[in-house]
Amino acid sequence: MTNRTPLPRKPFNPTPVWLSAWIAVLWLIVVDLDISFQALAWGLADIGEYFGRYGDPDFSDLSRYLKLLAQTIATAIWGTFFALVVAFALAPFAARNLTTGPRAYRIAREILSFMRAMPDLLLALIFVAAMGLGPLPGSLALGVHTAGFLGKFFAESLERVDPGVIEAVRAVGGDHTQVVMYAGWPSILREALGYTLYIMDRNVRMAAVLGLVGAGGIGLALHDTLRLFKYDESAALIAVILATLLAFDYLSTWLRGKLQ
Amino acid sequence: MANITINQAEKRFGNGFHALKGVNAEIASGSFTVVLGPSGAGKSTLLRLVNGLETPTQGHVALAGEAVTPANLRTVRGDVGMVFQHFNLVDRLSVMTNVLVGRLKTRSWLGSVLYLFKREDMDIAHEALDRVGLVEKSWERADRLSGGQQQRVGIARALAQRPRVILADEPVASLDPVTSEEIMQLLREICRRDGITLLVNLHQVDLAKRFADRIIGLNAGNVVFDGAPEQLDRATLASIYHREGVVHDEQLESVLAYA
Repeated sequence: MTNRTPLPRKPFNPTPVWLSAWIAVLWLIVVDLDISFQALAWGLADIGEYFGRYGDPDFSDLSRYLKLLAQTIATAIWGTFFALVVAFALAPFAARNLTTGPRAYRIAREILSFMRAMPDLLLALIFVAAMGLGPLPGSLALGVHTAGFLGKFFAESLERVDPGVIEAVRAVGGDHTQVVMYAGWPSILREALGYTLYIMDRNVRMAAVLGLVGAGGIGLALHDTLRLFKYDESAALIAVILATLLAFDYLSTWLRGKLQ
Repeated sequence: MANITINQAEKRFGNGFHALKGVNAEIASGSFTVVLGPSGAGKSTLLRLVNGLETPTQGHVALAGEAVTPANLRTVRGDVGMVFQHFNLVDRLSVMTNVLVGRLKTRSWLGSVLYLFKREDMDIAHEALDRVGLVEKSWERADRLSGGQQQRVGIARALAQRPRVILADEPVASLDPVTSEEIMQLLREICRRDGITLLVNLHQVDLAKRFADRIIGLNAGNVVFDGAPEQLDRATLASIYHREGVVHDEQLESVLAYA
């Protein structure tokens, strides 16, 4: 037992250093922002009282809420459709294996990143200011923002298409459009549908919020009742929104599961 | 229907790999030519020069006397069918649509985008499927078919082009021996009946001997044999499959013993 090979030098373990550094940073943030845990504890009672005001939802105006809900969903559907059209046109140029040249690739990529980088809430504010209140600026804002995501998802899927299939369509004399239409899209149809459903789901969620900045739908009604301290009606609206979001979430998960 | 002229073709890839080192070959119209050679000898590159999937670094390739250039690439490709080792069908499209891909050269932009084909294109595709005996599978998804059937769809796609030349890049390398036989007979029959020039890469020496009119042997980018199948003896086979730097190649010896 005494003459076994000695262990090599133990490597330095940096975890404790990182951990204490992070704790120090967190503590500095608390000091700097003057966050008081005491005040938070005292505030709990106030928060409880405030939520208590929503305890008695008033569904007497439900038919109007459902109509507004339909408007919100329509906003999301149109936003998704707009995103789909833009992504369909741009994605083939943003995929390295299908693009027509380095310049087209760059431009398509930059347009998509720009659209992704614009927050839809900000876009909605701008479009509402430019076009007035209503669902149209909302769907446009959703469309621009999510086109960036959908285009990127599509481009990445297109880049995984079997090079042999692309070559086969090129070898029969197919031009760029034909390669995209016969080798590109059919190969990623399932994935593309899955991404579109996901974006649709996300847009319904966002469309409800966009109402708060004046982009129509049920969010706008919630904005109004909150401003007027009508807690009963607000509670009913929140309940309707939550139920719809949950339903859409389940529906899209189920549909995407079916696609696999 | 069209002869292929390969004149001093040289190909060096971007990574420095010297795939072809000045290849000359004159392939007669309507002939069945097999290219043999070890992996990496340049067989695929040679084939891909003919329809411009690769451009030669030096020298040139001509089809029926017309040089293959970047300018006439699409016209040339329209006339040249290609059959692949892995079939390269679009899995999710129907057999019929896969064969119709062979007609894309005649379609307009809008027609291609909307998946619309003319009746005459449908007729040509129908006829091509009939030739390979797969009409009853027309509306099935391509990936539901067996390997041999998929390769026949690949051949139908090439036939639908009404080609003058068919290039087949190891068409039977992924198939079992019986299916391989079937595919080789089909290719041979197409060559004989339609007078289409066939240029086929193979790994199987016995298939090459039985089906080819002429065999071209490639080794490390050079033509080391060019002649009738009967002229292919042990010595020439040894020169085709010779490995660089190996003086006494036991594996080669044992392969040749059974060739």
